[in-house]
Amino acid sequence: MQLSDLDPILRRVQKPAQYTGGELGSIVKKLTPDMIRFALCFPDLYEIGMSHLGMKILYALQNQREDVWCERVFAPAADMEEEMRRNGIPLYGLESLDPIKDFDIIGFTLQYELSFTSILNLLDLAGLPVLSRERTQLSPLVVAGGPCACNPEPLVDFIDLFILGEGEEVNLELIDLYQRAKKEGWDKPHFLREAAGIPGIYVPSLYEVTYHPDGTVEQVIPRENAPKRVKKRIIRDLDKVYYPSQFVVPYIDTVHDRAVIELFRGCIRGCRFCQAGFIYRPYREKQADTLDQNARDLCRLTGYDELSLSSLSTSDYGQLEPLMDKLLSWTDTGRVSLSLPSLRVDNFSPQLLEKIAKVRKTGLTFAPEAGTQRLRDVINKNVTEDEVMNTCRTAFEGGYTSVKLYFMMGLPTETMEDIKGIVDLAQKVVDLFYSMPNRPKGKSVSVNISVACFVPKPHTPFEFEPQDTIAQLREKQKYMLDCRTSKKITISYHDSDISMLEAVLARGDRRLGPVLLKAWQKGSKLDGWSEHFSMERWYAAMEECGVDPAFYANRHRSYDEVMPWDHLDYGVSKAFLVKENKLARQSQTTATCRRQCTGCGANQLLGGACFADHTDIL
Amino acid sequence: MQTIRIFFKKLGRAKYISHLDLSRCMQRALRRSGLPVWYTQGFHPHMYLTFALPLSLGYESLCESMDLKLTQDVDTQELLDRLNAALPEGLTAYGAAAPVNKPEKIAWARYEISLCMSQGSLPLEELFDQFMAQDEILVVKRTKRGEKEVDIKPLFSVGVREPTPQGLRLELTIAAGGETNINPALVADAFEKFTGIPRESMDVLRTQILTEDFALFA
Repeated sequence: MQLSDLDPILRRVQKPAQYTGGELGSIVKKLTPDMIRFALCFPDLYEIGMSHLGMKILYALQNQREDVWCERVFAPAADMEEEMRRNGIPLYGLESLDPIKDFDIIGFTLQYELSFTSILNLLDLAGLPVLSRERTQLSPLVVAGGPCACNPEPLVDFIDLFILGEGEEVNLELIDLYQRAKKEGWDKPHFLREAAGIPGIYVPSLYEVTYHPDGTVEQVIPRENAPKRVKKRIIRDLDKVYYPSQFVVPYIDTVHDRAVIELFRGCIRGCRFCQAGFIYRPYREKQADTLDQNARDLCRLTGYDELSLSSLSTSDYGQLEPLMDKLLSWTDTGRVSLSLPSLRVDNFSPQLLEKIAKVRKTGLTFAPEAGTQRLRDVINKNVTEDEVMNTCRTAFEGGYTSVKLYFMMGLPTETMEDIKGIVDLAQKVVDLFYSMPNRPKGKSVSVNISVACFVPKPHTPFEFEPQDTIAQLREKQKYMLDCRTSKKITISYHDSDISMLEAVLARGDRRLGPVLLKAWQKGSKLDGWSEHFSMERWYAAMEECGVDPAFYANRHRSYDEVMPWDHLDYGVSKAFLVKENKLARQSQTTATCRRQCTGCGANQLLGGACFADHTDIL
Repeated sequence: MQTIRIFFKKLGRAKYISHLDLSRCMQRALRRSGLPVWYTQGFHPHMYLTFALPLSLGYESLCESMDLKLTQDVDTQELLDRLNAALPEGLTAYGAAAPVNKPEKIAWARYEISLCMSQGSLPLEELFDQFMAQDEILVVKRTKRGEKEVDIKPLFSVGVREPTPQGLRLELTIAAGGETNINPALVADAFEKFTGIPRESMDVLRTQILTEDFALFA
């Protein structure tokens, strides 16, 4: 397809520059006969997908190979989708504008459950059958990876194979196998059998799931020599892994439009609700010098004037101060501003604050996650009220007047006292501000609390826990609003319907495939956007398929229940999850990995200890 | 420190870069080029870029310009080479010099317009002549203060009007600039209303920006 074929419709849609390609850094190749064409799809809008670091890495990495042309694909907004369908324009890759149905491999990144229906919609827009079994040819092969691949069971009807864990090595191995399959003329079943032999590749059609009469999983039986458990992949030496020096620089505004460096993978914390904190283990960091070089290359080649330090908990990076010194030595004069998301309350030093204050003065964000110390201990968020207060005091002294606090509600063992604790903590921050003689003069304080609904996730110590029902969550939300007395506190909270759907999909099994299909057929797509989301469609789909959402969201699961994802090995053992769950029940905390190995099992992926010596950096 | 006016073309894919996005895109290109661009002083230093006459989304142009300040002299050819090496597809700088006219002096802009529309009872060029023979051409112009009806007849003149296999090609000189800025689409809308023939599409290329006395904006 030529750009001129799109011209008539591009004139009628919002933000057309997201559909044209041609951005700086986009890679256009000359097609050769043995070239593998890979469509890297983010099942959400361009402005979201273009902000995603994993996509940038895999795009650049795959395009390094001469025999691969990897192109970007995003979900079109509603206006563009309508034009495409009306004018018979199939979903195309942004680099070549060629239809992706003619590509070799279509790869989806699974970042959040609410994007699942968009995968079906994109396959359909491409002109392909959404069901894997109806795509009988080898090409295009439909694959998926990313965090939600840790329980991909609801998607097995649609995706041919899943890639577990970090993608830098395994994607290339998959492409090698595909090259061989093409040369030797394998059919799809042959290819899938061979692919199942690559560590980290999960071919769901090679597994049979049986269920107990009560609806729980009885067993998952591998066939045709597929491995009993599929182990996720990691990059052992993160400091040596490929990192792009060029990003595709979008024209339109995107959520995160900036240079990014990746400090480390994994997390030392072990907050019990946090899926990322478990599925990305073990902790591995990059050297400050490497990061500094990554940052310099990116800023020089992209022209970005903002650099973000990415990780799950920036202030846990072992070399943060040396790194900040290196970066600040050139970012100031180079007019690059730094942004440090994911700072923790407990090790936010005055020195660090001073270094950040040089570069930005927007609001400060902290995540105590729970309102009382008891509940923070339950979830292993090792933050005390004193630490929150001290950090806020430092921030106020530094001239900040706005603080954002993140919390969750519906956590295991939570009572109304814990809900009140959220508002009380916010009130204490307000009171602290007015008690300080040296507070910013003539200014008022604003404390924003944002309260999400807890969603129990696979591979966490809370994978056994029931989610609060929608009625319970609404009651807690109402009570929370009643507790507020100060106008300095603003409260926002998540929609409980959406959180329930997330809970169903996150811990779902294969019987949710028909529900996804029905929900999509009824019009569900881009469910993360409130203007597209309709719970009624989902309820109707579940009812028609005989699926009870409470079975997935609100049921307590016993320690010996076979979870739908138990055959997927993310390094952390189930015994460890059980142990952590029991500790949570006793309000017992667990130390960080840096202080002491907690024996989660993830170090077997590394083939040794995660830390040379265990020290406390605080 | 010198102020420099850089002239550039915006063609092909680049026509879909909106005015706001163009500013950001140029700033990044200038940063990549390593040219000694002057930044504003103060709390949030930024490049000071001024675009003479915004171009509507979807239009191409041979004559865009932006003003900026350099902290040291750079040879014109070197400046163009370095900037062009950093610009994305569709944007090409072709001239740079000290500004002659202030942007307020802009009064007219020339456009080449290709209308894709079907024939009516008469050939389109004849319909266009009838359209131009009206005493006044009233259109509704939307401004920040709301809608108002304007007679655009005195605000544009026709250089060329010729039939094409797809419809009609026009070369128009239209009032432009801060005082009265008329988008070529307004003329096309009025013609569409006059004929009752809906257009399928319209390609617009801005070819010249002119001052009050019809001299090239420089």
